[in-house]
Amino acid sequence: MDWVFLSELAINGALTGLLYSLFAIGLVLIYKASSVPNLAQGGLTMVGAYVVLALARDVGLPLWLAIPLAAVVMFGLGFGIERVALRRLAGRPVVMILMLTLGLDIFLRGTTLAIWGGTSRSMELGVSYDPLFLGDIFISRIHLVGAGVALALFVAFMLFFRTRTGIKLRAIADDYMASWSVGIAVERGVGLSWALASVVAVAAGVIWGEIQGVDQALSLLLLKGLTVAVLGGLDSILGAVIAGIILGVVENVGADFLDPLVGGGSRELIVAAVLILTVMIRPHGLFGRHDIERV
Amino acid sequence: MQEKVEAQNILSMNSVEVLYDNVMLAIKGVSVQVPKGEMIALLGSNGAGKSTTLKAISGLLKAERGRISRGEITFQGTDITEALAQKRVEMGICHVIEGRRVFEHLTPDENLTAAAPRGMSRSTLNAEKEKIYGYFPRLAERKNSQAGYLSGGEQQMLAIGRALVTQPKLLMLDEPSLGLAPFLVEEIFGILQKINKDEGLSVLLVEQNALAALEIVSQGYLIENGRVVMHGTAEALKSNSDIQEFYLGGGETDFHNVKHYSRRKRWLS
Repeated sequence: MDWVFLSELAINGALTGLLYSLFAIGLVLIYKASSVPNLAQGGLTMVGAYVVLALARDVGLPLWLAIPLAAVVMFGLGFGIERVALRRLAGRPVVMILMLTLGLDIFLRGTTLAIWGGTSRSMELGVSYDPLFLGDIFISRIHLVGAGVALALFVAFMLFFRTRTGIKLRAIADDYMASWSVGIAVERGVGLSWALASVVAVAAGVIWGEIQGVDQALSLLLLKGLTVAVLGGLDSILGAVIAGIILGVVENVGADFLDPLVGGGSRELIVAAVLILTVMIRPHGLFGRHDIERV
Repeated sequence: MQEKVEAQNILSMNSVEVLYDNVMLAIKGVSVQVPKGEMIALLGSNGAGKSTTLKAISGLLKAERGRISRGEITFQGTDITEALAQKRVEMGICHVIEGRRVFEHLTPDENLTAAAPRGMSRSTLNAEKEKIYGYFPRLAERKNSQAGYLSGGEQQMLAIGRALVTQPKLLMLDEPSLGLAPFLVEEIFGILQKINKDEGLSVLLVEQNALAALEIVSQGYLIENGRVVMHGTAEALKSNSDIQEFYLGGGETDFHNVKHYSRRKRWLS
């Protein structure tokens, strides 16, 4: 057994996992404030990346300006989605809202395809691809940057959910009717959660766009992001971070063992297995809230 | 004279009709007045339209696809028939909805924070919380546990406390005694009476437990089939023979009539 190689797999797996967490935090934000799993998060992430590119390439702004500006644009888009599409559905069965987010995802993918075409564009963040060595272990710099962004967002949102606004969002997720009854602006709260998730989508879109290029495939991150969010418990930001690390390590190390046996492609199988087993064995995930039933 | 009566009523509801889904008539012309600083009860059996009446006043009808199709509601002289629920809370109407419905995954303290009106300063919020913990010492003891695990009585206290944070002028409660032991009902009603006396808070109380309700209110309305069928002071209602028989469980029962009544019912259905 080559321990150095194994720990290199584990560390890089954990870093990749944190990038999944970066994506999953957006899902958790919306779930935590409205109890809806947002199937359009992949589409939003892709749009976030395209908006950054549009501002940087087509308008010609420097990246350090294009990224915050894209965050502002996406913040507005998040609010707009609530205002135009979700508001009519408040209080309806979750499955309807779920279908709406799926439709939204398809819409966002179609729109980006129509505007920017299908060819992959590069983000060119300017992060060096020179290897970074930790002892004998090789680490990717862009993954390290992304992991840092994920952890920073994690801390920021942990603090946010303790503020008065954050508590109101959690109250909305608990009970729409009771929230209305004490004058909480439910619609605005849901809009805010979509706006924040859209900002997270910009962060995820930039990092993942740098890693795999900006094209339609970015929206497929939803599958891994959803797996991480479900494993973490859907409404727990801490859960999303820890589940991301777990999935990243299991995927990276597991694939190294399994790939030679099955001839490659085992990564997807591992992700699928994690998602299915979580739902079967522990539906509320590692840190998700239980539904309280008092006897 | 009419003007003066209007000024004394904090809430005035005139011949209000409510439609659900544009077809089902849930209340058919209900008129209820709440004089300022008084406690009023809406009595009646299940499905009589009491909860709908409260929702019409608080604006929560909209969330259940209901709407006021006729009549008007004025609060402190302002027409609120079309106002949004959030606006009504800001004006001072707070509705403690049926079944307690505390925010289960939040702590009691966070439940109170969640209800803080926009722009309420931290110090005002803390003062409000202290006052509420003063009324409900049990909540203070458990303020950092998870609200979903509180007992039924504690949850009801929390639901009332949460409503008080919005600094209401009119507090409406939907069946606060539901599923609670008699001693708890007495405790909660006692506290409501104290808040009413101390702060001049007007209260509109919906109850099936007419016996307990009539002990603390000054007037009561009896609602049946979406209509007000009786209105009077608590004393008058308590001594009314129909009320005694059907809602207070007293009076003599004529078993011949009971049998006749149920037989007739069967024919109808």
